[in-house]
Amino acid sequence: MSNPTNNAPAAHSAGAPEESRPSLSALLLDPSFWADWASVVGLVGLVIIFGIAQPVFLSVANLQALLLASAILVVLSIGQTFVVATSGIDLSLAAAVMFGAIVLGLVNAAGYGILIACVLAVLATSAIGFLNGLIITVGKIPDFVVTLGTLSAITGLGLILSGGEPTMVGSTFLLKLASGSFGPFGYPVWVAISAVIVAHIALYHTRFGVHLLATGGQTESAGALGIRTNRVKIAAYTISGFCAGIAAILLVARIGSAEPLINTSLLLNSVAAVVLGGVSLFGGRASILGPAIGALMLTALVNGLTLLSVSAFYQPLAVGAIVVLAALIMRYQK
Amino acid sequence: MRIFNGLTLGAGLLATIVSIPAHAEDAAKVAAIVKGLDNPFFQTMQKGIEEQAKADGVGVTVQAAANMGDATGQADRLTAMALQDFDCYLVNPISVSNLVQALVPVAQKKKPIVNIDSTIDAEQAKAAGFAVSTYIGTDNVAAGALAGEEMLKLVPKGGKVALVAGIVGDVGSNARIKGFKQAVEGKLEVVVMVSADWDREKALTAATDILAAHPDLAGFFAANDIMALGVERAVQTSGKDVKVIGLDGIVDALKSVAAGELSATVAQYPYVVGAMGVEACKAAVKGKQLPAYVPAPVLLINKDNAEASLKNFPRPGGEYPDPLREMLK
Amino acid sequence: MSAVSPSSASDAIIACDGLSKHFGGVRAFTDVAFQARRGEVTAVIGDNGAGKSTLIRCLVGVHVPDAGSIVFDGREHPFSNPDGARKAGIETVHQNLALIDELTVAQNLFLNRELVRRIGPFAFLDRKAMKREARSMLSRLSINVPSINQRVRRLSGGQRQAISICRAVGSGAKLVVMDEPTAALGVQETANVEALIRRLREQSVSVILVSHNFDQVRRLSDQIWVMRAGKMAATVRASETSGNELVALVTGAA
Ligand SMILES: Nc1ncnc2c1ncn2[C@@H]1O[C@H](COP(=O)(O)OP(=O)(O)OP(=O)(O)O)[C@@H](O)[C@H]1O
Ligand SMILES: [Mg+2]
Repeated sequence: MSNPTNNAPAAHSAGAPEESRPSLSALLLDPSFWADWASVVGLVGLVIIFGIAQPVFLSVANLQALLLASAILVVLSIGQTFVVATSGIDLSLAAAVMFGAIVLGLVNAAGYGILIACVLAVLATSAIGFLNGLIITVGKIPDFVVTLGTLSAITGLGLILSGGEPTMVGSTFLLKLASGSFGPFGYPVWVAISAVIVAHIALYHTRFGVHLLATGGQTESAGALGIRTNRVKIAAYTISGFCAGIAAILLVARIGSAEPLINTSLLLNSVAAVVLGGVSLFGGRASILGPAIGALMLTALVNGLTLLSVSAFYQPLAVGAIVVLAALIMRYQK
Repeated sequence: MRIFNGLTLGAGLLATIVSIPAHAEDAAKVAAIVKGLDNPFFQTMQKGIEEQAKADGVGVTVQAAANMGDATGQADRLTAMALQDFDCYLVNPISVSNLVQALVPVAQKKKPIVNIDSTIDAEQAKAAGFAVSTYIGTDNVAAGALAGEEMLKLVPKGGKVALVAGIVGDVGSNARIKGFKQAVEGKLEVVVMVSADWDREKALTAATDILAAHPDLAGFFAANDIMALGVERAVQTSGKDVKVIGLDGIVDALKSVAAGELSATVAQYPYVVGAMGVEACKAAVKGKQLPAYVPAPVLLINKDNAEASLKNFPRPGGEYPDPLREMLK
Repeated sequence: MSAVSPSSASDAIIACDGLSKHFGGVRAFTDVAFQARRGEVTAVIGDNGAGKSTLIRCLVGVHVPDAGSIVFDGREHPFSNPDGARKAGIETVHQNLALIDELTVAQNLFLNRELVRRIGPFAFLDRKAMKREARSMLSRLSINVPSINQRVRRLSGGQRQAISICRAVGSGAKLVVMDEPTAALGVQETANVEALIRRLREQSVSVILVSHNFDQVRRLSDQIWVMRAGKMAATVRASETSGNELVALVTGAA
């Protein structure tokens, strides 16, 4: 602190090693390299295998369809990532999607504009996330228990509101959203891409992002440094809820109706994508690109197996095998 | 490098489990997508599709959703198949609308779409610019009514009956319950209706409670066989003589009827629905005009015909009308 | 001599009175009066479990005391959480170091004090500036770490302690609180930290030092406070005491 003139050589010694990059071959021999890039390696591997086994896989139309199909899962995986980064888990994610869809359907059916319906759907799911976070932090109840509870509660609420009946949503806006495209990609893909960009910036380029990782890594230490860890956690769950709302809009657009059905594979796949993306389930380590690519990989897996006419019985097995394999590789993470 | 081992292993695994459907050079190729294979009903349907395809010399690829709630996953799989060169698409959608968008490219290629078991909403299909070539399915209301008529024969007039429905709001469950209610209207007293989510254990618990609440109950109608078997277990435990009727005609239920436990079940034939779907595809590919609606057979199974049904399972115990077969002759 | 003298608060940078803290049934300390004079190095000593760390954590806002008052820099109830304490000018080296293993050295140094660039309503991390600053902070204290982009998890115990100290002294705080800052350090590093504390004192930064090393305490501090079994047992001027007396005060044999 006393003699700033004296700092140049020392600064150099402190910063020097980071500039020297390891050689490519050293990189390829390092298991932690593979661990950090598991989802990318997996995706590339799948693309090569499927591309050889079934050329249709690499057709532009199929790749476009694949991206379109992955949009919902990508958005959900981002939401799940924020929660997992705080060392939590959001089991109510798929139920929140269902709830958001029902709110959207009912508000629309009640004669309000589709935009109002979409906004209210996102508000509703964000509120669910906010509540999750509030109960977990203020009530000091494990995330697992709370989100399991909300899962059940909002399922019930969704059934009550909808009377168990699907609601048709014949909006041209949503139809365009689902089937229209800009440039090479369909609108849902653009939605997913925007979500990835915004989330990436939030995680890596804002104070919130650092505080999120600090809270997930060592909550107590983060708190001792003045980070409002409860607020950070509540924010993470709210973001997860927000993502569920966006996913609900994409879902209603895609299937044309709001249904009181919970797609459990969305929840499981969101967690799987997060794991594939190299996010630590113990919190503190996260990326956005990783889970997004993980989601893409899971979708590509189903798409490729379908094109290869592999029976539906084998598909969950393949997904399970890949996730466990990824978890094993992850042990070599830096 | 572990990952490479993993990948090559994966590739090998793939190679072994990929079964390229065998079919003659110029035979029609059918793409079929059904609901989740986590349910025997759809497994039987798949069997019907595959066996009929073999018998007719048609190539077929059957795909299914990951589970009964996987509406988007089913659409994704259909989208992938739509890119491939199939001559006809046989679809059993999870909901009335989840496959509509995935069918648009199919319709654009002017390939016939055969809708089986669960309907696709005609309005939405129209808005998306296509119409299905035909719908083949069982009439759930009629099936429920058959169960109701059998119940009328089994219990005294004015007797009390309880209804066990599937998942709240399920269209199929609602229709079956509706048919049953219409058949017994004014003749029997429906004291309670509960929902047991198509689940055997939930049905058992619910039935136990109902039996405690209504000691003079005469009969149960459950909207599917799985739940009926759960109810039957509760009735046996209570030691009372309460009639139980199910619906579906799964093997366990047929055995139970033959053994004198379940009073009756209304058999639907997913096997036949699947088989008729393949026939419809074959006819459509040949350029035949298909009827808009082809009813699939339903049959009441009681002690008299349970043995015969078991023997023929998953095919019906006897002859059934099949306009599509006539058409192919 | 061994009686706790009541504070005349005007020259105190921080003072507390009647302070108590319980964790459920565990009594960390009760009815503690304590003060640290402006510009001095104030030491707190005592056996394991005497309540030193808990007292410190109450003073810097991590724990909310059950009873008692705190005055910092002339203000009563100065803050209610660590964020407030840091904003008011207190930096702390916690006994557990409060480092985040998965974050880099630079991120840890600037945690909750990140440099940002504003673009319209948004504030983005200025990572370049933080890295530059981090390098100069480390070099000013001659701290050697392999890289500021290194995750803290991979650093040695001494390096971690150095990072935590660097964070506390690198930001121009009015009061630096150090809970056993040299516990994991080698001889050379300990000497460095001691030199650092002297330098802080020269710059009239107030320091509170918790330590088990009585020689160190006598070398560095102006005033020594002794805790014993959850009570403030005594306070002495460092210049007027001996190692033997401190041992006696800590064990209660005096
Ligand atoms: N968060 C906590 N929850 C429960 N008890 C605690 C907590 N923190 C401290 N204690 C208890 O309070 C008492 C005082 O602990 P403290 O850490 O203040 O001691 P110390 O004087 O710093 O000891 P050391 O020299 O070993 O660091 C101990 O009995 C300890 O078990
Ligand atoms: Mg301590």
